Amino acid sequence: MIAQQIINAVSLGGVYALLALGLAIVFSIVGLINFAHGELMTLSGYALLAALVFGLPFPAAVLVAVSCGALAAVAMERVAFRPMRGASVTSLLLTSFAVSSLLKVVFQNGISARPQAVAMPSWMTGAFSFGDFTIGVGPSISIVVSALALIALELFLRRTVTGTAMRAAAEDFNVVRLMGIPASRIIATAFLLSGLLAGLAAMLWVAQRASVDPLMGFTPVLKAFIAAVVGGLGSLPGAVAGGFLLGIIEVLLQATLPAAVAPYRDAIVLSGVIAVLLVRPQGLIPAVRVQRS
Amino acid sequence: MPKLYRLHRAALYAAVFGTTVAVVSTASAEEIIIGAATAQTGGLAPYDQPALAGLRMALDELNAKGGLAGKYTVKLIIKDTRSDTAQTATVAQELIDAGAKIMITPCDADPSISAGQLTQPLGIPTLTLCGSAPVLTAAVGDVMFGTYPADNVQATAVADFAVAEGKKKVFLLTSPDSTYTANLPEYFGKVFEKKGGAVVGRGTFTMGQPDFSAEITNIKSLADQPDLIMTAAYEPDFPAFIQQLRGAGVTIPVYGADAIGTPTIKGLGKLVDGVVYTAAGYAEPGSKLEAFNAAFAKYAGHAPESTYEVNGYEIGLILDQAVKTAGSDDPKAIRDAIAGLKDFDGITGKITYAGTDRMPLRPVALMRYEGGEGKHIQTMIPDAADVPAP
Amino acid sequence: MLSVEALKIRYGEVEAVRRVDLAVDSGEIIALVGANGAGKSSTLGAIAGLVPAVSGKVVFDGVDITGLAPEAIARKGVSLVPEGRRIFAGLTVADNLRLGGAMHLPATEARAREEEMLELFPILRRYHRVKGGNLSGGEQQMLAIARALMGKPRMVLLDEPSLGLAPQLIDTVFDLIAELRRNGLTILLVEQNVALALEIADRAIVLANGEVVLSGTAKELATSDLVRQAYLGA
Repeated sequence: MIAQQIINAVSLGGVYALLALGLAIVFSIVGLINFAHGELMTLSGYALLAALVFGLPFPAAVLVAVSCGALAAVAMERVAFRPMRGASVTSLLLTSFAVSSLLKVVFQNGISARPQAVAMPSWMTGAFSFGDFTIGVGPSISIVVSALALIALELFLRRTVTGTAMRAAAEDFNVVRLMGIPASRIIATAFLLSGLLAGLAAMLWVAQRASVDPLMGFTPVLKAFIAAVVGGLGSLPGAVAGGFLLGIIEVLLQATLPAAVAPYRDAIVLSGVIAVLLVRPQGLIPAVRVQRS
Repeated sequence: MPKLYRLHRAALYAAVFGTTVAVVSTASAEEIIIGAATAQTGGLAPYDQPALAGLRMALDELNAKGGLAGKYTVKLIIKDTRSDTAQTATVAQELIDAGAKIMITPCDADPSISAGQLTQPLGIPTLTLCGSAPVLTAAVGDVMFGTYPADNVQATAVADFAVAEGKKKVFLLTSPDSTYTANLPEYFGKVFEKKGGAVVGRGTFTMGQPDFSAEITNIKSLADQPDLIMTAAYEPDFPAFIQQLRGAGVTIPVYGADAIGTPTIKGLGKLVDGVVYTAAGYAEPGSKLEAFNAAFAKYAGHAPESTYEVNGYEIGLILDQAVKTAGSDDPKAIRDAIAGLKDFDGITGKITYAGTDRMPLRPVALMRYEGGEGKHIQTMIPDAADVPAP
Repeated sequence: MLSVEALKIRYGEVEAVRRVDLAVDSGEIIALVGANGAGKSSTLGAIAGLVPAVSGKVVFDGVDITGLAPEAIARKGVSLVPEGRRIFAGLTVADNLRLGGAMHLPATEARAREEEMLELFPILRRYHRVKGGNLSGGEQQMLAIARALMGKPRMVLLDEPSLGLAPQLIDTVFDLIAELRRNGLTILLVEQNVALALEIADRAIVLANGEVVLSGTAKELATSDLVRQAYLGA
C-alpha cells in the first residue's frame, strides 16, 4: 500500500511539475505569472474532445490537442501580453486574470457550462498486476509522460542555442539581446513551451477526470502557482521540485489523515508551504537573476 | 440538487445581468405575480434552466385556460441570480418589491435559504426548483417548500434497493463542501445499517479535486472489502473518481443519486456501466411522464434533458391546485394549501406535503447506466418510517 | 564609422544626457571619460539600443540605427560589453561564448571563432566547463569581452572594463584592449580611470553633466589643465 501511495504521489507530482514548469518558464523570461495557464489546459481539453468527436484516432487527437495548447499560448502572448511588454508584474498579473476570465466566459457561453464527457480509451482504465500489487495504467502513463517531458525539456534547454538563450534570458534578458538574439523569439519560445506543457498536463488531467468543463483550469493553475512559489519563483528546477513536493504532500496527507481532519488537508498543505517560505523565502531552489534595469 | 462549485467560482461568471421575461400578459382583472430568482448563468444554470423551462410550460398552459385555478393569470418575472447566494437575495428583494406573491428559488440550499429569509417574514410561499437538502425547509420556516425528492428520501430508496440486491458492506465517499455531498451518503449509511448492512469505511474528497488516487488506494487496502461504494459526488468529481477507480483496477459497484443523472455522466459510456442513480420519475410507455416528455419536446423544441423539467412542470400544477384549494391569491392561504396537499396526482406519481417537513413525499425512480443509456430499475415511494431524520 | 549627433536621454524627470555628439573612425579607440553620472554609460546604452533616446541620432556605417532593438544593432556588428560584465552566471563559460556567436556565425565558423577566443584568453580554456558565476572578477571580464567578440563585431563598446578589478588584472585587460585594436577593431571605451583611458586611446571625449565639455587627441587632453585638475588629480 505504501508503494502504491508513492506511485500515486509521483504521478500527481509529475502533473504539478509540468504545470509549475509552464508557469516558471514564462515568469523567468517576462516576469509574468500567467493565471490564464489553466485556460490553456481547458482549451487543450476541448481540442481533444473535438478531435475525438471528429473521429480522429486517439493518438492523433492527443497530438492535435497538445499542439492547440502550444499555439494558443503563443497567440495569447501576441494578442494580450505583447502590448503589455515591459509593464509591471502587477499589471501583467491583472492582464492574465482578465484573459483567464474572458476565456472562461467564452468556453461557458460558446460551448457549455456543463462538463463534457471525454471517453478515454478503455485500455487507460486497466491496471498491471505484479503479485498482489497493482498499478493503474493511468498513473503509469502520467509518470512516464511527465518524466519524458522533463527530460526533453532539459535536453532542449541544455543542448540547443535557443534553449541556452532561454536559460540566459532568465538571468539577464537584455544581455541576451545584446548577443543579437531577438527578444520575440525568446518570448515566443517561452510561451510555446509553456503551452506544450499545459497541453500535456491537460491530457493527463483529462485522462484522470474523464470530462472537460470551462472551469477545469482553475484548480491546477492554483496548485502550479503554489508549487512554483515553493520551488522558487522563476526557477525551473525549483518548479519541478515544488510540483513533486506538493503532489507528494497532498497524497500522503490524503492517505494518512484521519477522516475528522481530512477536510483540513488543503489548509495543512498551505501551512506547510508558508513554513517552507519562512525558512527559505526564495523557495527551495531560488532563481538566479540579476536586477533588471 | 446539490450545491454547484464553490461560490467564488460563480463570481467569475457574471456574464448576463438580470433579465425580466413576462410569459404571458393578457389583460386580466386578476393577475398573480410569481417571482423566479433563478440562475441563468453560472454553475447552477444547468440545473435551474431545465427546471424553469418545465415551470414556464405549465404556467403557459394554465394561462391559456385562464390562469391559476382558472382565474388568476400568472405573470412570471424571472431574474438572474448568477449562481451567487448574495445576488439571489438581491433579486428576491426586487421580486418582492415587484409584488410577487409566490417565490421560486434555485436548485440549491444556500441561495434558497437566502431568498427564504426575505419571504418568510412576509408569508410568501417559496418553492425551490430542485433543491433537495432536507434541512433546507427547516432552515427557513413554514413558507419554504422543497419539490424534488429530498436527499434522505433518495438515499433511502437507493439503500432499500442495495439491501434488496443483497449488498452487505458499503464504503461511503463524502465531501464536506456541500450539504448534498456531505449528507446524502450518510443518510444512505443509516438506512443501510438499520437494514442489516455495514459501513466498512469512509473517505472524503474536496470538490474540484482532480486526484482521487490516495482515497482509492485506501479503499483497495481495506481489510474488509466493500461490495458497494456510495457517493453523492457529481460533476466534475464523479467522472474523475470513477475514471481513477476503474483505472486502479477496482470493480466495486458505485451508486449515487440524482445529480449524476445528466448527459455528461451518461456520456462517459462504458465507464459508468452499472452505476445506480435516482430521478424524479421514469417515462414508462403509456405513462403520464411519457406524454409530458412528448409535449415538452413540442413546447421547447428539444427533449427534456432530465427529470428537472417535469419537476418544474409539477410545481406549476401544485401551485394551481393550491390556489384552487385556497380559493384566493392570498399568499398565506396558498401556503397553507400547499402544506396540506395529500396524494396530489402529479405527472410522476402522487405528491404529498401533509405530515412532512415541507419536503414532499413522492416517488423516486431508480436508474442504472448500461451501455451508455439510463435504464429504469423501479420507481418507489420509500416508507416514511425508514427515512432518516435530516 | 559611428557618429552620434545631439543625443539626449531622459530617465523620467532626470536628464541623464543633455547633448552628446561624437564620431568614431574605423580602427580607432575613443575614450569617453568623465565623473560618475556624467552620462557615459547612458550614451553607450543608447548606441546599443538598450536605452531609448529622447532625441538625436546614432548612425553606424551610414545607416541610422537610432531606436532599433538591441538585437538588431548587435547584428549590424556593434557589440556592447556592459558595465558590471553581466556574464550569465548560471551558464558555463562554453555556453556564454556560444551565445555570443550564435546569431552571427554558422555553427562551424562559431566553433573556429571559439577556438580563437580560447587562444586569446587561455584562462577561459581552463574553465571551459565551469559556470560563469564561479569565475573571479577579472576572469569574468575576460569572458564578457570574449563573448562580445564571438560574433566578430566591427565595433566594440566597452563599459568600465576596469571596474572592481585588482590593479594587475586591470593591466592585463588593457593590454588586451590594445591588442584588439592592433588587430583592427574599432573601440569606444567608457572609463572612469581617466589616466588609464588616455594612455590607450587615440582620442578622448570628456563628459560632464550630460554634455561634452572637451574633446581632442588623448595626448592633448592628458596635458590639458582642466583634465589634469579635475580627473588626473595633478
